[in-house]
Parts: sequence; C-alpha cells; structure tokens
Amino acid sequence: MTAPSAAGAPEASIFYVAYTADGAAPGTRPVTFFFNGGPGSATVWLHLGSFAPRRLVTGVPATTQTLPFPYVDNAESLIDTSDLVFVDAVGTGLSEAIAPNTNQTFWGVDADGAVLRDFVTHWLAVSGRTTSPLFLYGESYGTVRVPVLTRLLETAGVRVAGAIELSSVLDYNSNCSINLPQLPTVGCAGALPSYAAAGSWYGLASAATPVLDDYLATVRDYADATYAPDAAAWLADRTLPPAGHLAALEGYTGLPAAVWRGQFDMDYDTFRHNLIANTTLGVYDARVSAPVGSALDADDEPSDTFVAPGFRAGIASVLKDELGFTTPSTYVITSAAIDTWVFAHASRSLPDVIPDLAASISLDPSLKILFLGGQHDLITPFHQTELDLARLPAGSPITTHFHAGGHMTYLDDTARPLMKADLVAFYAAALGDR
Amino acid sequence: MRPFALVFTVLAACATSAGARPQLDPGAPPAAAVAAAQAENRARAASVGPRLAGEAEQLLRASFDAADGAHRGTLSRDEARGGGFGWITQRFDAIDTQHAGRVSFDDVRRYLQLRDARDASK
Repeated sequence: MTAPSAAGAPEASIFYVAYTADGAAPGTRPVTFFFNGGPGSATVWLHLGSFAPRRLVTGVPATTQTLPFPYVDNAESLIDTSDLVFVDAVGTGLSEAIAPNTNQTFWGVDADGAVLRDFVTHWLAVSGRTTSPLFLYGESYGTVRVPVLTRLLETAGVRVAGAIELSSVLDYNSNCSINLPQLPTVGCAGALPSYAAAGSWYGLASAATPVLDDYLATVRDYADATYAPDAAAWLADRTLPPAGHLAALEGYTGLPAAVWRGQFDMDYDTFRHNLIANTTLGVYDARVSAPVGSALDADDEPSDTFVAPGFRAGIASVLKDELGFTTPSTYVITSAAIDTWVFAHASRSLPDVIPDLAASISLDPSLKILFLGGQHDLITPFHQTELDLARLPAGSPITTHFHAGGHMTYLDDTARPLMKADLVAFYAAALGDR
Repeated sequence: MRPFALVFTVLAACATSAGARPQLDPGAPPAAAVAAAQAENRARAASVGPRLAGEAEQLLRASFDAADGAHRGTLSRDEARGGGFGWITQRFDAIDTQHAGRVSFDDVRRYLQLRDARDASK
C-alpha cells in the first residue's frame, strides 16, 4: 500500500501483513499496528514470534529446538481482542521509497514517524476503519518509533487509544551500553537489576532470594540508593567505593568484585563475558549462553545466533506457503539503515522520546501506554525504562509489566501467556476510558 | 480469520549487511551522533518537571510552525488540517475564542491550560 503525503503524492510503498477477524464489526473492533525496530529491522520478530494467530516455536531459553522452527497455532493470539497489522518500515521487508524519494529520505527518527503516520492514516481510510480504536505496538527501536508516531497521529487528529512499548529504549542518552563497543559515559544503575536476574538464573548471585520479582525489587533499591551515586563518582574521576560495596555487587550479581573494580560502571559486554569463565551470555536473553568458540558463540551473541536463522527461514515460508504471496523481490530482514539513520530528534543528537509521550498525553489525556519487557534482557534493561518513565508527571496514564524473559520476551512460553493477560487487561482499560 | 498480504509498488531490493557480530536492536548509532550527544549530555541532564513540559510543548510548536508554511503565525481550520495538525481543526471553535477564523500557538497553549485546569478540578 502506498503512503501518500497530505498533498497526495506517493511517498513509499509499505508492505504489511494484516490479520482481521471475520464477522466482527469493523467500525468498533480495535486495530493494532506492530513495528519492530533496528532501525533497519523488518517486523518479522513480532509477526512470527508474538501474538499473531500462528507463531514459531523456539523453546528459549533452551537451545534444543531444531530448525526449521515449528509454525503452530498460537494459544496467545491477540486476534480475539484486536485486528493485527504487521508493518515493515521503509527499506525493510518489501517496503520501498517511491521516486523521487529514496529509502534514505525516510531513514531518520522524524521522517520515519511521518511516513508511517501517513501509512496508518491511509490504511485506516481505505480499509473503512477510521472509527476503530487504534493501538500501536513497538519493540526495541520500535519504542522510539511508536511515541513519535503516536504524537504525529494525535497531532493530525487521529486518536490513539493505546500504545504498547516492549523492551524500551526511551532515551538513547540514558541507556549506558547503547554505544558499545565504546564504554559507558553515563551511569549503568538501570542495568544492575538485569545483571542480578542473570546472576540469579545461573545460581551465582549469593544474595538472591527465591522469588525473582522480590529479589529484583531489592536490587532496584540498591541500584538507585547506592550503585547510582557510586557509578557517578567512578565516572567522574575513577573513584572506587568502599570494598563493601564491591562485595555487595558481587553478591547481587555473581560477577567477581575484581571485574567491578576494573569497570565499575558496568556495561553489558563486560558483564556477559566475565560472569562465567570461557562463556558468552546473550545480549537479548542472558539466560542463553555458549562456550567461547562454540558454534552458538560464532556471532558473540548466542541468543540471536540461536533464534535468528529460524525467523529468516520462517518469513520466507510463511509468505509463500501460508499467505500465498510471491514476489521476485528479496524480503529484507535487516537493512544497513542504521549506518546512515538520522538519529537527531527535537533538540537532541540522540533521541529522547519522553517528551513525545508527554506531548501525546497532553493532546489526548485518555491515551493509555503499556510498557512490557524481560527481566533477563541486557540491551534494554527494564529498570532503565522505569527510571526514564519516572520523569513523567505523577498520574501519567502508564502501566508497566516485566516478566522473566529476554528482549523478545514473548518467545518464552511462561512469559507469553502473562503478556497476553497484560495486553487483554490493557485493551479493556483503554477502551473503557474512551 | 482472514490473513492477507499486500504490496503495490515494488522497486529494487536492498543489500543486507553482514559483520562479525549481528546488527543488534537497538544498535549503536553512528559515531558522530554519539560524540555530539555526549557533549550535550555533559551540559544538560534529562528533562523533568517544567523543562520536560517545555520540551513537549516545543514538539507541538514545531508541528504548528511546519503547518504554517506562510509564516503568518496563525492557522486557519483548513491550513491546520492540511498541515498535519487536524487536532486543532477538530476543536477549532473552542481554541478560537476571539472568533478570528485563525488561531495562534498561544491560543493552543491557552486551550490546553484551561482544559488541564478544568480536568484537575474535576
């Protein structure tokens, strides 16, 4: 489908896969648009792994599932609650700019939001769905994309009932490991509970208590009260705290005090390469690990190395065999967009979308926003999301739920039903308040 | 349940990138953006309270200015809708308290402040 500008000029052709329920009243039935991130990633992860009517089985955090991943009916499909539209951003999937534009025209925080606003608006109009309650669902960089898109839609007069943010990076300036391999220049307190969750998973955190949520609440308090100021002091002039604090960090995470002494503001690469000797932990899911030099460690990211091939093969067979869609073009799962992406947004060189959320709430006080995430995800640590959200005024219409799991939290067979319940409750609350 | 996939205009496909380590999401931004951001962050902490509210308002002001292609400082009903600010058009009469047929960004601010004060007193 083309995304026309307000003036009617075609900007881009946008590829999407929509699942709509037969027999439902389209004017009142919710419709949800899903976006993965990157930037430069197609929306294959959400499409094939999360809440569509069918899904790929991965079995994570185990790494025993063989290829091809089975494609099965999804007991947690969200089709009982909303129609589902999985959208590929420009330059991913089969989505392409239309001349005289190039893909690069839309490779930026603001330009990407604007073209997707035009796509969503056009889709709703030509599908007869302008009165359907509208929901947006973003993952990872998609959690930058969705707040910008929400603000632009609300500004255009298109009400968004609910925005769902999974594994959030709401402020690139506060995520301490975003610039790796460059070491952190901001504090990593937001990541400490995720390191504790990983250490607890491997039985290495001597301070761990039996209920993970309770344990992480304890570590969260320590992170804010003690580790944050300690890390700030270390960043300022490499001052280390008293030995007792290093011992406490070792107790919470299992990472030896000597490692903390060398890199006190702890980035995820240092953590995941040093928690267990000769072993690499996943960035997306720290519960997935591999011996250094093993096949699963070939990309230095075992959780991605395990999951990605099944999705790459999966999208090809789903499009052709399940959906009957054939094309001579190549479906682009990962583009090079990030290399030339315009990250500047508002007054920042790297995006901070908390002001976009505040502006969206200002335009539409009935907007609801749900934040989901995995406690074992190292790349978008859940407590950093909590810290970023604490900037919003008290009483803001936000809900957070974090479950045991990785970045693609829905891959976990325990987390996915919990997330489905979170979503159903969220849709009910958002729809009840309109 | 009725799945369907659609694409209208399809041009050439992009190349995929490959490296020793997979491209992560969210991935590291280009070095120049990182360096600029680090300089900004040394000078300025993350916004909260009135400064956050100011940044949010600035986003709306930028949209207003973008819709105001003629730089008149005001928008008509149609200019607001055509310029991507249909939110103004939908409540134009409530914002245009002077019945001028055109609204300024200050009119929008006053409308939001009055609405927030009214909501707070509910």
